[in-house]
Amino acid sequence: MTNKSNNGFNTWQKSFEKETKKNFNDAKSETDEGIDIKPVYTKDDIENFSFVENNSLPGQWPYTRGPKASMYTNRPWTIRQYAGFSTAEESNEFYKKNLESGQKGLSVAFDLPTHRGYDSDDDLVMGDVGKAGVAIDTVEDMKILFNNIPLDQMSVSMTMNGAVLPVLASFIVAGEEQGVDRSLLSGTIQNDILKEFMVRNTYIYPPEPSMKIVADIIEFTSKEMPKFNSISISGYHMQEAGADNVLELAYTLADGMEYVRAAMSKGLDVDDFAPRLSFFFAIGTDFFMEIAKLRAARTLWAKIMKDFGAKNERSLILRTHCQTSGVSLTEKDPYNNIIRTSYEALSAILGGTQSLHTNSYDEAIALPTDESARIARNTQLILQNETGVTKTVDPLAGSYFVENLTEELSKKAWDIITEIEELGGMTKAVKAGIPKLKIEESATKKQAKVDSGSRVVVGVNKYKNPKEPSVDVRVIDNNRVRDDQIKKIQAIKESRDTTAVEKALANLTNAAKDETNLLAPCIEAIKLRATVGEVSKALEQVYGRHFAKSLSVSGVYGKHFEGDQEFMKVENKIKEFENLNGRRPRVLVVKMGQDGHDRGAKIVATSFADMGFDVDMGPLFQSPKDVAKDAIENDVHAIGVSTLAAGHKTLVPELMKGLKEIDPKSKIIVFVGGIIPEQDYEFLYENNVSAIFGPGSNIIESAEKVIDLISDNLSKV
Amino acid sequence: MDLIDNILKGERAAIAKAITLVESSKESDQQVSRQMISELIKKPGKSIRVGFSGPPGVGKSTFIESFGSYLVSQNYKLGILAIDPSSQITGGSILGDKTRMVEISKNPNTFIRSTPSRGSLGGISMGTREASIILDAAGYDFIFIETVGVGQSEIVASNLVDIFTLIVGPGSGDELQGIKKGITEYADIFIVNKNDGELKIEASKTAADYKSALSYYKKLDELEKQVLLVSAIEQTGMEDVIKTINQIIDQNKLKGIFEERRANQLEYWIEEEVKNIITSDITKRLSSKGNISKYSEKVMKNEMSMFEAVETITKDTLK
Ligand code: B12
Ligand SMILES: Nc1nc2c(ncn2[C@@H]2O[C@H](COP(=O)(O)OP(=O)(O)OP(=O)(O)O)[C@@H](O)[C@H]2O)c(=O)[nH]1
Ligand SMILES: [Mg+2]
Repeated sequence: MTNKSNNGFNTWQKSFEKETKKNFNDAKSETDEGIDIKPVYTKDDIENFSFVENNSLPGQWPYTRGPKASMYTNRPWTIRQYAGFSTAEESNEFYKKNLESGQKGLSVAFDLPTHRGYDSDDDLVMGDVGKAGVAIDTVEDMKILFNNIPLDQMSVSMTMNGAVLPVLASFIVAGEEQGVDRSLLSGTIQNDILKEFMVRNTYIYPPEPSMKIVADIIEFTSKEMPKFNSISISGYHMQEAGADNVLELAYTLADGMEYVRAAMSKGLDVDDFAPRLSFFFAIGTDFFMEIAKLRAARTLWAKIMKDFGAKNERSLILRTHCQTSGVSLTEKDPYNNIIRTSYEALSAILGGTQSLHTNSYDEAIALPTDESARIARNTQLILQNETGVTKTVDPLAGSYFVENLTEELSKKAWDIITEIEELGGMTKAVKAGIPKLKIEESATKKQAKVDSGSRVVVGVNKYKNPKEPSVDVRVIDNNRVRDDQIKKIQAIKESRDTTAVEKALANLTNAAKDETNLLAPCIEAIKLRATVGEVSKALEQVYGRHFAKSLSVSGVYGKHFEGDQEFMKVENKIKEFENLNGRRPRVLVVKMGQDGHDRGAKIVATSFADMGFDVDMGPLFQSPKDVAKDAIENDVHAIGVSTLAAGHKTLVPELMKGLKEIDPKSKIIVFVGGIIPEQDYEFLYENNVSAIFGPGSNIIESAEKVIDLISDNLSKV
Repeated sequence: MDLIDNILKGERAAIAKAITLVESSKESDQQVSRQMISELIKKPGKSIRVGFSGPPGVGKSTFIESFGSYLVSQNYKLGILAIDPSSQITGGSILGDKTRMVEISKNPNTFIRSTPSRGSLGGISMGTREASIILDAAGYDFIFIETVGVGQSEIVASNLVDIFTLIVGPGSGDELQGIKKGITEYADIFIVNKNDGELKIEASKTAADYKSALSYYKKLDELEKQVLLVSAIEQTGMEDVIKTINQIIDQNKLKGIFEERRANQLEYWIEEEVKNIITSDITKRLSSKGNISKYSEKVMKNEMSMFEAVETITKDTLK
């Protein structure tokens, strides 16, 4: 007899309906993933599963309950905080302090020039050096970064994808020059290029050669670096870019399958490398969903790897790092972020992560200060030491709800994976731009929910703090960092054996022309003190640089606001504007410098277009000069600069200069949106910025302000 | 007008503002625009206007980026008018062409303007012809006009240019059966793009299909229509394209076809303008009288026939 037909359930249902005055069958709430959450789950809900197996145990097939039998009861997860800024010297100091305060593993954040394979002295990266991570130009910088940190004992994770070859080579050489053989190095290199094309945007070469590089690294590490994870297959960035959990899960695993195939195509046996594949997921605010996601990920991966013919048990097991969600954190009332992060961290732990980064409360303002980083770290220390969550493995197993959710997520993700496989795999899908567009659609929907108030964000669209606290921010003087780096580069270029370097670089270029593994010739060049930029260029000669072609969603935002008063008010203003001026208000939305955060820009562009603006969308990585040319040729009314990687103080004044250079009488006005610490507002206004829209800005309100300011500006003759 | 001098000097901002004027739906702008164009027409430059049309996603923008880079590397000045198809009926539009023309948009010898098509006939926007007159006067050697090939657009677009190019993708040869004879009359060059990687074989096959179809429709006195294979991404086949364009232009000039076309286009333009003025005038009269509903009621009540109503209204309006 099933539960639903028994008396107990019927009685419950009656009480429920009486209390809520709702029909039980209507009392569901739909998640972003399109899963209906019921008000109660029963034994019925854990029957007839096709993925989840009810009586499995931790460390056993299908590994839903965890990769290991003992999990945290033996050793807690690794507290691994992602950090890096300014010079190697300063980051090294920061790392050492953190390790003394209880952090267990390192995770290096590189600056954007390094990510994109440019040296600090390159003109293209003027505003970006040391700003959003640490600048590494040569192996000397890498050695400084790990000064007094023994690389045979410390596991080091490196978020590097585009310039993965020179950076991994520098790490290996730095180790060797510390006296540590490469076989003893432990840690992870992200090396996940597919999600760069989708959401993270620090690619350098086109998809095919990039995939070849990924495979080279898997091959090399599987042979020479047995303790090193060759890749960190990442869904994290997808969720941060706006993907719901099903998309994150499906695309990540589909990426994983593509990497497995790439490695096997090099003639490797699946068990030669699969145990060293690792994963990375985001943990957002949907508490149970996130737990279920980690459990589903392990379940599905085991199945996938079995299908690939893996025999070694370790090949079947998905091990993952997690990071709490940065995008769930707000600029407004920032101490709320400590609370959000705590819940997310708990979710990650209940889901059984192997290591964790917890974000700082100043996430939506700047890179963390020492103080905010301490609280973020302590969030994990408190979980480990005070709450008792480490004492039982997978404590939610058997929960009707969580098991059901795990199965539902698995099913939905599997459908998408199957679709992508039928399309020919993730590389093809990514080249066609499909996953990126789906993620942008999901991001736009989320924005619409927040802007319409149907999703509450405490302190942003409800329960606002009348007295916003002002917080300290970490300030990085990128001009000083850049000067320091340039001096170091010059000194190295003067002291190295130039002919040998040139020969090594030529070798590398040649190696890129055939199928040779590229890591060994990279190591040679790096050893001789070739720079990260030089190595990247040597490969660029053969592969070229990739420019993404951007597609845009349309109508998704507007659809959410059908009949909405505020939305229609803006629409009408735009119609009036058109009648008066003979054309619609035209705004150029741009990203300048190496900042690849395009979520905000894309959402603003599509929403503005839905309201009736003509929106010109610039490509990524534009220089201020190019933007000025673009703006003037298209005679736009305004430029909206979206800037999140802290280049604004360099790039915005350059843009203003560029406009005046082409047209001294230019009347184009400039708005800035994105991550702007309060302390910089005055500077921007002094540079003639017309308005600033920080994180959490309501897009409809922003649009109204933009149209008003454009109209004002036009009426001034 | 200052504006005219500045356009003739090739000043970027002036050209841009002038294009805004010709695109404007405001009556006062249109007046200024007409005056301006009348002046500029007297000072023709030397530009060759090339139209690129083709179905969405065949790589028109990528091709223009690639071919354009080749031209500017040969020191030509290049103006590009991209009619962006992404416009919606209700809302505004997202103009994303620049994300596909990253390299040439940086070049000081280019001028790139995107225009939302606003759903107007053939994807050609109001003002495209005038914009090319402006760019011509400003000294651009080549003016490219990118339009999406839907419906009647080829005909409209081909009426704006000296050479009309149809870009197609590998595999599109199958559609040839459906392609009307008309198209061969409007297009001077057929470019099969994406001749790279796995698509190479298919691309060659498509080119062959086009060639045989074209020879079938060829008129006696006509030049052989060229079918070219290119890869916009790998930047191959670009010399052939410029060579072919130059060849056709030279021959057309020699045979007087070049001038004849421009004359026909002028005629067409005049006709269009007259039609536009009449239509908008009549529309205004119609709506100011506002008596259509009166007649439709009568028709509903069977007091008069539909056609009687039409006739009466027409007579009334044209009075
Ligand atoms: C999402 C995110 C990512 C995603 C980006 C995905 C994508 N495709 O965009 C991923 C995970 C890939 C990522 C990566 C990195 N990130 Co990040 N990221 C964020 C995060 C968490 C949220 C940004 C976001 O998208 N918010 C949602 C959108 C909708 O909001 P928004 O962009 O702010 O836009 C709103 C307003 O600002 C305004 N607006 C914005 N633009 C415009 C334009 C106009 C015209 C108008 C009217 C309005 C407007 O309206 C929008 C709607 O409200 C922020 C922190 C935070 N909470 O803000 C860090 C943050 C921006 N990232 C940061 C860093 C350092 C990085 C990395 C460089 C790390 C590294 N060293 O590797 C990388 C590299 C990325 C790159 N290529 O540039 C730092 C930047 C530090 C700084 N500025 O000092 C931040 C601030 C986090 C932190 N505190 O450390 N990141
Ligand atoms: N393989 C291959 N792909 C190409 C080539 N040219 C363009 N593409 C791809 O085709 C897609 C569409 O290219 P676009 O240049 O935007 O095409 P379009 O015709 O301008 O598209 P619309 O303006 O939207 O009609 C992109 O994904 C390009 O990368 C080529 O030569 N070879
Ligand atoms: Mg195009």
